[in-house]
Amino acid sequence: MLDYFRAISMAFFSMLIMSGATSALSADQSFADYKYVLHIDDMDPGKQELILNNATNLLDAYPPGAVEIEVVAYGPGLRLLFDENVNKKRIESLALSGVRFSACGNTLKGMTGQLGYEPKLNPVAKVVPGGIVRIGELVKQGYIYIKP
Amino acid sequence: MEEKKRFKHTLISIACALGFVATEPALAVNWLMLQGTEDPAASSRAEVWGFIQADYQKDFSDPNTSGQYVPPKLLGPDLDAQSGFNISRARIGVRGTGFPIDSHINYFLLLEMGNSCITHCASENTIARMTDASITLNYIPGARIRGGLFKTPGAEEGLQAIHVFDYIDFSEPVNQLLLERFPNSAYTANLPPQTQAQLQGGVSLNGFTSPVGGFRDVGVQVFDAFDVGKDWEVSYAGMIGDGNGIEFKNSDGEYDKYLYLSAEKKFSGKGPKAEGLKFFAWGQWGSRQLDNTNDSVANLKKYDRDRAGLGVRYLKRPFRATAEYINANGMIFAGPDKPSFTFASTNGAEAKAAGWYVEGGWYIPKSNFELDARYDTVDLFKDRTDDHTFSKWTLGAQYHLNPKTRLTLNYEIRNYECTANTVPCTNANKNLDGVGNKVALQLTAIF
Repeated sequence: MLDYFRAISMAFFSMLIMSGATSALSADQSFADYKYVLHIDDMDPGKQELILNNATNLLDAYPPGAVEIEVVAYGPGLRLLFDENVNKKRIESLALSGVRFSACGNTLKGMTGQLGYEPKLNPVAKVVPGGIVRIGELVKQGYIYIKP
Repeated sequence: MEEKKRFKHTLISIACALGFVATEPALAVNWLMLQGTEDPAASSRAEVWGFIQADYQKDFSDPNTSGQYVPPKLLGPDLDAQSGFNISRARIGVRGTGFPIDSHINYFLLLEMGNSCITHCASENTIARMTDASITLNYIPGARIRGGLFKTPGAEEGLQAIHVFDYIDFSEPVNQLLLERFPNSAYTANLPPQTQAQLQGGVSLNGFTSPVGGFRDVGVQVFDAFDVGKDWEVSYAGMIGDGNGIEFKNSDGEYDKYLYLSAEKKFSGKGPKAEGLKFFAWGQWGSRQLDNTNDSVANLKKYDRDRAGLGVRYLKRPFRATAEYINANGMIFAGPDKPSFTFASTNGAEAKAAGWYVEGGWYIPKSNFELDARYDTVDLFKDRTDDHTFSKWTLGAQYHLNPKTRLTLNYEIRNYECTANTVPCTNANKNLDGVGNKVALQLTAIF
């Protein structure tokens, strides 16, 4: 009986871990066939639209679950992930489709110093300690590096 | 007066009520927002832009029986010929967010170097004249503040950007009642009609000392746009200005007031060609000083200059339709049937006028062609012995070489007449009877 209970519990907890871990899988645990890191550090508003178009096109090009995309923004490019950005809803929609958005903590700190307050980021953006470091990590994990 | 107050109060009440029902501020694609704001966190530090409009026009009007011409029969701004090539507009500007990580502040600067009544109708012609210089502060939710020189809230033809306007000339109500010609500070007598030889010999029918107003004023405006419900966007604007157009002065010491309200059901798209159904209303209240006594003494007297309008605009490709009604009280330009640049009380200073236009466009599917048609009419000096009606049909075609460059062909069928059965009309019609049709071809390149 105890063995039976233990087996059921193990199976149950394994399922919990697997379902809960899907969203928290680190990049190197991804099961996607293709992985892309899209890099923006440009102030040019056209680049913002271009990088979002790139993400959309990549999602469209592959079957669901076959591609993983992370957008890393640092320097002036961090504006893309400001909460007030005109592309906010599109970014949130891409995030719902699985695209990850990383905001450089170093840039955020620098902008806070310039503005006198911390700019509010899009809630879907995750702050990483350093944007360029994050790119390096992802490339090492096999991500294809794209800078529009 | 009571009617004016009621209209003003109605606009103000609706604008206040909107503050309670609106949800979050919208990034609108209407002219108030397009011209006064930048995309937050997505604009340039300094975006250089501009456009050139080159045209050829020919006026088929006949002179009067003495071989003389009046301004409606001649091409502006020089009013000395009936055909010719021109660079009617050549504008270069810069706009953006000076400190790009702070979207609270944006600016807009524009310079005109074309040959028009902005640069060539004042006492001194200029190579270039500033038409826009403004700064917008976006700190207060629901109440953006724009200060400087910029377009005033008003009629759709005046408020919209001219480089995307579907016609070459403005409608008569807008041209006569809103594209303001300012009275000279000193008494200025009428000019009689002139022959071709006199005009080419140096006589000028342009006797103004100030440029046209360009639908602009120097002042401060509070405005914003809101998403309401699922698909609606409501915009408002309230402005006070010097009341001297693009000149930096306040001749009478009073301030003009402007109010604007619009509600648009959004269909799709963004920018100047966003699709939707828009209802709008606006009002302008001010005064002008005029000396209309022929002596060497300055006898400046103040006259009201009030304008109001309401309209609707529909755009869903392949069709477009716009209709607008405009009402005017005071300072009605008395020039067109005789080359007068005064607004003497016997002419336009205390007169009333009203006009309207209806226009439509068809973007021919799977082609770069567009067909346009507009009918407009304005009744000047309403209910007087010199009541005038200026009406015209404008038939147009446009070819879009690319999204930034197009050719526009317009053919105007004009009917200008003094309609009262009185002596003033007999004399006026001696000059107006010969007003004929006009053809114009314009190339617009936006960069």
